[in-house]
Amino acid sequence: MGRKEYWEIGLDLDGEHRMGAWQIKEILDLTLPPRKTTTERFITELPKGTKSAEVEVKVTYKPAKTVTLNVHRIVKKLTF
Amino acid sequence: MKPFRWICVVFLLALPLTAQGEYKTLDELTKAYSVDKCKSCHGTVHKEWEASYHSQSVVHSLGGIRNFIVVGVGKEYDEPMSKEHLLRCMGCHAPQIKDASESLAKEIASLIITAKDAKSRSKKNAAKKKLAKLNVNCIICHNTMIKVAKNVRGDPRPGVFYGPKGGKSSAHKTEKTTEISRSVFCGQCHGIYTPPDGDTIGCNTLYGSYQDAYRGNGGTETCQACHMGKKKRGHTFPGAYQVGIVKEGIGLDVQAMGIKLHPGKWIPTAIVDIGLTNKAGHRIPDG
Repeated sequence: MGRKEYWEIGLDLDGEHRMGAWQIKEILDLTLPPRKTTTERFITELPKGTKSAEVEVKVTYKPAKTVTLNVHRIVKKLTF
Repeated sequence: MKPFRWICVVFLLALPLTAQGEYKTLDELTKAYSVDKCKSCHGTVHKEWEASYHSQSVVHSLGGIRNFIVVGVGKEYDEPMSKEHLLRCMGCHAPQIKDASESLAKEIASLIITAKDAKSRSKKNAAKKKLAKLNVNCIICHNTMIKVAKNVRGDPRPGVFYGPKGGKSSAHKTEKTTEISRSVFCGQCHGIYTPPDGDTIGCNTLYGSYQDAYRGNGGTETCQACHMGKKKRGHTFPGAYQVGIVKEGIGLDVQAMGIKLHPGKWIPTAIVDIGLTNKAGHRIPDG
C-alpha cells in the first residue's frame, strides 16, 4: 500500500553516496528531526465492491543491515 | 614492615589507573587499562557496562574499522598503516591505543583484518578474543575522556577517577566533575570526529543533530538523562539496538478513514494519515 523510509545519506566531496566513515564529508538529512512530528498521507483505491479493509501500520527500525527492530504496529478496520 | 606492605598494596591498586606511556604488547596495554578490579566495589555498574555496547566498542564495529584499514588507508590513501591512521577509528573505539607503540598499533590493525577476513574460523575467533579486551571502559570515560575540559581544567590526572559525585574511595583518588554529566562529553565520540591533521570522519553525526536540531528547538535534556538516568538504565547505555528505548523515541499516531471516491463510480478508498513524532534528543535514525 505504501512505504516511507527515513535515513541519513553520507556524501563525499563529489556529492556521491558513501558508506565509509572516512569518505563521508557531508550528510543529506532525510531522517526524522527531533521535537517534530513528520506526517505522511497514503491514499489507496481498493477494488470496487470492497466492503471493509484492514489497515496495518508498522514502524520498523534498522540499526544495521542485518538487524530489524519492530517498533510499533497499529491495526485499524475500515468499512465502506 | 607493616607500614611498608600497606604502601605497596595501595601502589598496586593505583597502578592500572595511572596507565600512560608506550606499551609494546596487547597484554601490557590491556592490563594497564584493565577494569577487572573495578567490579570488586562497583559490581552492579560493572555488570551493566559489560552488557553495554561500550564494552564491545571494537568487536562490534569490526566491519567498519576493517574497511577503513583495508580500503581507506590501504587503497584510497595508498599509505602504510600507522598508529596515527588507526587512531582515526580508535580515538573513540579504543582510546587507550594512544598509549600503544607504533608496532603494537600495527599489530592491532592486523588483528582487526584477521578477525574479519581470515578463512579459518578459529583464527577469526582468536583475533576477536584478543580485540575484545579493547573497549570503552571505566578508565576511558572516568579518566581519559575527561580531556574534554583540558583547556579549562588541565589534562586528566593519572590515577584519578572523575565522576559526578566525587565520593571518597580507599581504592583510588576521586574527583567531582561536571563535564561527565554534560552532553558534550558524549559528543566527543558521538559526533563528527576531527583528528589532529584536520580531516573529518563522518562515522557518527548525532551530536550535531542534538546541538542544532534538538537544543536549537528548545530541547533541554542531556544524553545522560535519557540513556543513563531515566528508568535506572545506568551504565547499560541503551541505544539503537534496544527496541525499548527506540519505542520511547518514536511516537506513532494513525488516523484512517474509508470513503468512496469519484461520484457515480464510488471507488472504495482508504485515507491513512500517519504522524511520527521524534521524541528523542537527536535525529532518528542516527548512531
